[in-house]
Amino acid sequence: MNVRALFLIGCGAACAAPSAAQTYRIQPGEWSALGTPHPVLRFLEASDDFGSNAIVDLEVGEPAVAEVVNLDSVDHVLVIDDVAWAGVEIPAGDTVAFEWPALPLGSYRYHLDGERGNYLQASGVLRAGIDADHEFVWHVADLEAALLDTVAAGGTWNAATYTPDFFTINEAHYPHTLDDPWALVSVQLGDSAIISVANAGQMDHVFHFHGFHVEILQSTRSPERVGWLKDSVPVRRGEGLTLLLVPDQTGTYPVHDHNLIAVTNAGFYPGGMLTQIIVAP
Amino acid sequence: MIPFARIAALASALFPLLASAQFSPPPLLFSGMDGEHLLDDGTLLPFWGYGYVADGFMTLPGPFLAYEAGGNYLLSFVNDSPEGHTIHLHGLDVNQSNDGVPSTSFTVMPNAEASYAFAANHPGTYLYHCHVTTTLHLTMGMYGMLLVTRSDGTLWEGGPAYDRDVPLLFSDLDRSVNEAPTAAYPFHTIRPDYFMVNGLSGASLSDSESVAAAVAGERVALRLGSMAYAQVTCRFPSEWHAEVVMSDGRPLPVALSVEELVLYPGERYSVLIDAPEETGTTMEVDYISMVSGALESTQTVALNTTLTSVNAPMARPQLMAFPNPATERIHAALPAGRWSVFNALGAVQASGVAVEGTWNIPVNDWPPGLYTLRHESGATARFVVR
Repeated sequence: MNVRALFLIGCGAACAAPSAAQTYRIQPGEWSALGTPHPVLRFLEASDDFGSNAIVDLEVGEPAVAEVVNLDSVDHVLVIDDVAWAGVEIPAGDTVAFEWPALPLGSYRYHLDGERGNYLQASGVLRAGIDADHEFVWHVADLEAALLDTVAAGGTWNAATYTPDFFTINEAHYPHTLDDPWALVSVQLGDSAIISVANAGQMDHVFHFHGFHVEILQSTRSPERVGWLKDSVPVRRGEGLTLLLVPDQTGTYPVHDHNLIAVTNAGFYPGGMLTQIIVAP
Repeated sequence: MIPFARIAALASALFPLLASAQFSPPPLLFSGMDGEHLLDDGTLLPFWGYGYVADGFMTLPGPFLAYEAGGNYLLSFVNDSPEGHTIHLHGLDVNQSNDGVPSTSFTVMPNAEASYAFAANHPGTYLYHCHVTTTLHLTMGMYGMLLVTRSDGTLWEGGPAYDRDVPLLFSDLDRSVNEAPTAAYPFHTIRPDYFMVNGLSGASLSDSESVAAAVAGERVALRLGSMAYAQVTCRFPSEWHAEVVMSDGRPLPVALSVEELVLYPGERYSVLIDAPEETGTTMEVDYISMVSGALESTQTVALNTTLTSVNAPMARPQLMAFPNPATERIHAALPAGRWSVFNALGAVQASGVAVEGTWNIPVNDWPPGLYTLRHESGATARFVVR
């Protein structure tokens, strides 16, 4: 059975069972902008002391029991964009048991609501029923590094003055995106790769694929686009997308945001939301 | 009457009007960094771009390129500039060596010539642009649109038939970058402040009778593509019966009837419309900042439905200009619309707006050399001044 068929009918018995009663931790941390540390907030798997925001895997259509420990100094609410879910209130210093909602097959963005949780990047990709031989996850964001300090200190984000200077995939900007096996799409000719994308930034973004068209398998924001074959794929703020790539030629091909301010690091090109597809014979 | 006092914006992105399936592969291109684009307010703005070697001047956007589906082609250009450039064939899914990305393909160095091979397997709307320091080179104007069409007048095999392509390329520029590209760093602060359709803006665009023109009653394929930084929203009038049928060179599984369509940077759409009997119906185009979400500009495209023949005008038709060589003045038979004369270096020597008829253009104080007269329809004529 090919990956697309598997995706469209649900993964059923072919899927690996997700971990039972997964525990997460809301924890302040640091993110480095070209060597300068800035405060961030992360939603980590409890067993992950150093990593980035958790990739949450659920089975299709089934709620999942979990708990979360809030190690931050303020209360938070956990939500999922584009999903009708009341969310979970998590008081500062508390531990709360909750259920992830039953979700249709696809990729979603979860995050802590509110200025602090949202802008400080306590956010990640939630996947329901995604199970393929070649899976990739792009949790993308735009950041104004200095604003991380401002928001961490209780300040606010302002759309009118927002000047993002870093653009990331899974917290990394190019060329460090190539060091991340979730961000670098490394496959063989004829493989089927599933790419889960979620936009945690304050802007919409649009990924241009060199060398290939991808098929949109699912979108939380634009369901009418399911089945479209695209080389330039918009990912709206908060949107979750699932893409299918079946490479038909070998080589190394860039994938990047075509809003060209977003392929820079602190204004210098190349950088930002840029990764590669490497297709081996 | 001498029209110099009526200098208006130069329609320098003069896409030809295209009846469908009348293309031949384009000639050799060149890249340059010394173009001048006449803005709607009369300002000449420096730009980098592409032009036909045979023409000797560049346009913003670059020449419209059209190919017949099913063929294998070479797109060649000579780099007539002091820096390296490339051509990335955006959306054509070329292989790595032809991808136009310096780090994975190759850079075309100054005075060098290169060719990019591609198979036009999928009819549709595509773009091309330089991929060297892309944020700067594309912002400076190094981009254009490319169409792949079928000879049987259908959009794709088994797809709907139509009568005419109307290519509309949305783009924008930050005037401060074009005026001082070496001071453009840091790039993340680039904020366009001039918004174009086929290189035209404001009254130059809304008054144009050639940017979008068809015969009343025709089924028209709007070939929409965006090289803008902005999110572009097209608002179609109801009498056009707009139907989105393709995106990024692929048919949609189900056509969508729309009143609005949003294009993000790099996206393309084919939208079928019915050309109404009434001429001058308009499409509004909103440019919305991707950073702040603010509406930055609204441009107007008017659909001229006074054309009378499905076969005319053809791509790159010729004008009449005489005597040739000239010493005192050139007599040019011009249709109504904006015209310009480029010198051999591609700089604008003169421009104006014509009503239909023969126009006298004085050349007695021009430097001797070869000049090209170009009308907004894309028609050209060459002449020598002694």
